[in-house]
Amino acid sequence: MVSQQRQRGFSLLEVTIAMTVFGVFLVVFFMLTAEMRDWEKRLPVNLMRNPQIAGVLGRMRRDVQDAWIPFGKTPYVNEHDGFSMSSPNTIILNVMQSTGGNQIIVWDFNTPGVARRIAYNVGFKNEWRAAGLPEDFAKNFTIGAVELNDRPYGVRITMKDDHGRVAIDQILQPRTHN
Amino acid sequence: MPRTMAAMRDQRGFSLVEVMVAFLVLTIVITVSLAAFLERNKRLQQATEIVLAYQALANEAEYRRRMPFTELESQPASFVSDTQVLDPLEPYGTAVKVEQVKPGVKSVTMTVRWRSGERSAQLSVLRVETGASSLW
Repeated sequence: MVSQQRQRGFSLLEVTIAMTVFGVFLVVFFMLTAEMRDWEKRLPVNLMRNPQIAGVLGRMRRDVQDAWIPFGKTPYVNEHDGFSMSSPNTIILNVMQSTGGNQIIVWDFNTPGVARRIAYNVGFKNEWRAAGLPEDFAKNFTIGAVELNDRPYGVRITMKDDHGRVAIDQILQPRTHN
Repeated sequence: MPRTMAAMRDQRGFSLVEVMVAFLVLTIVITVSLAAFLERNKRLQQATEIVLAYQALANEAEYRRRMPFTELESQPASFVSDTQVLDPLEPYGTAVKVEQVKPGVKSVTMTVRWRSGERSAQLSVLRVETGASSLW
């Protein structure tokens, strides 16, 4: 009974000081993170940090650089030209090998979460798969042709993140071959 | 029961020194954690910004590779490629500088600046005159 009488709550002054200190802390925290949050909203997801995506793009870059194209044509074509046909989720390339021969490479992004690279070489078929890509990878990933100087030499790869922000935009073009 | 009441009477609050030491420790822990969190986020943002900037630089390089060697100096001094990948860095600026290194060799330097010029990324390519048209 005696101890209960001694118990008392906090005074108004104590509560006010405690809340003021807490409020100051909150204001400082929000000020420090405001700019950071603003930039986070603007910046796309860094998809290049995904090792699968970086691996696919790296390998695809090499294929396009090694591609052989008839003069004035593009490694990416929308209509059948008697040689290859591509779509926004597929690219077909005629790639030169270090041995001097050619092989047809098909990059196929139509399977959710999977990138397939199929190489055809005189009766042999060889497939390389990158699994574990984001499920909506194919939906947000597009391949198109881009004009460089005066002709559609280039292949343009774009990918948006879940919020529709462009995260990947890369132009690739074949290199000269001797 | 009497023992419990006695024990309760013996209870006392923390002294001012104890509370202050506890607050000091808590403040240090919070400050260090917050600083580490902010620094980590800043670096992640910088990494994302640089990835965007270098994609734009590499794309511009592909355009400049295709331009005729003799007309490199007369080309626009800013990027001619589509720079939509740089939209999150608005306002940003782009610049292209062409210098003759020696006869038949030109250096093309592309620059992207953002955050009021505080940050920048640069890429240089050397163009060699091959005698052919529109080659790199």
